[in-house]
Amino acid sequence: MVRRAEAFRAKQGIDLRTGHRVEVIDRKRRVVQGATREGQGFTQPYDRLLIATGAAAVNPALPGADLPGVHRLKTLEDGRRIKALLSGGGVRRVIVLGMGYVAMEMVESLRALDIEVDMLKPGPAFMPWLAPELASVVHAELGANGIGVHTGLRPQRIEAAGGGLAVVCPDATLSGQMVLAAVGVAPRSGLAQEAGLALSVANSIAVDPTLRTSDPDIFGAGDCADAYHVVTGRKTWIPLALRANRTGWAVADNVCGETVALHGVAGTAVFRVFGLEVARTGLNIAEAGEAGFEPVEATITSSTKAHSFPGASALWVSAVGDRKKGRLLGMQIVGREGAAHRINGAAVALHAGLTVAQFFQADLAYAPPFGPAWDPMLTCAGQLLKKM
Amino acid sequence: MNFVVIGGDAAGMSAASRAKRNRPDLNVIVFEQTRDVSYSA
Repeated sequence: MVRRAEAFRAKQGIDLRTGHRVEVIDRKRRVVQGATREGQGFTQPYDRLLIATGAAAVNPALPGADLPGVHRLKTLEDGRRIKALLSGGGVRRVIVLGMGYVAMEMVESLRALDIEVDMLKPGPAFMPWLAPELASVVHAELGANGIGVHTGLRPQRIEAAGGGLAVVCPDATLSGQMVLAAVGVAPRSGLAQEAGLALSVANSIAVDPTLRTSDPDIFGAGDCADAYHVVTGRKTWIPLALRANRTGWAVADNVCGETVALHGVAGTAVFRVFGLEVARTGLNIAEAGEAGFEPVEATITSSTKAHSFPGASALWVSAVGDRKKGRLLGMQIVGREGAAHRINGAAVALHAGLTVAQFFQADLAYAPPFGPAWDPMLTCAGQLLKKM
Repeated sequence: MNFVVIGGDAAGMSAASRAKRNRPDLNVIVFEQTRDVSYSA
């Protein structure tokens, strides 16, 4: 959703200057300096400063990544450019580098335009962050929708070939008319780093629960800044939209003299891939192990509706708990419906620090169109309890 | 008081809008390098 700069100026009294790139934060003089698109320099004094520079799509480190026809999708401008090229009709096959959220959302849009798609990634496992049984459900959904899924393919270079592009790997070459790189994002923390502010996980800007950086007059918010993880209590970098909005609000309140401290993130996320909802919150079993827990995992298959109800389909739930203290550490849900919103119940449990046994006691809603009497999350928690 | 924001997307515009609502006397200045602001990324 794009809003016009004029609306912010006129209705809200915000002095919004688009086409203005800040290049330096001078903390001694308390000014920011930069240049406009037209090359005109500017200097602006600040009393309080917010760095909300977001994240940038990572460039694939490959020879040929700068060839015409190789694109990243991050900004609205990227999207407009790609859309214009696709609507030209010359693109019949696209090679997608990466298999994360952005890649999944891209392939669905491409198939809707009747474009053939191959996806590849160097690692051997498809969606290694997802419980294996759930990952195989997503993998099958991509296959059923005609997507070529190639794990364990490490691209070596991109070449111009026969009027199109070729992604060359050791044992295979994939060809198409466009390459879309979705190999990850990185925080835009260069300005902060050059200003001598402390950095954190994945080079994100280190902020405290009030969003202050290592300079108390400078705040960091959104995708460029780190956060505390509510399950581990440690710093993490999980750039997602709700956190960006919430940190923006908290900064405003703290600038205006209130004290607002945020709890942190649970890493709750959801995306759709064709007919499937894929949702997660908290830690998976590998992350839980790295964080020092003694993790146990249970995965179950249940149903999106009561057994007698027409239109039911399978719902897969996986949950992780800590054997030492019994705490619920994370949950993942995949299904044709009922995964996206269901995960929020587990997310709240993580914020509250519930044990698996406490979560199993939760009084969850039931009616036949929405699931079995025992909600699939409860069934999974029950199985997890037996293993703990 | 000058509250300066670098970046006009979700975090930056949320902060700018709320700060101005909280305190209409505040000078809120947002620098955005592109020509777009606050889209749902």
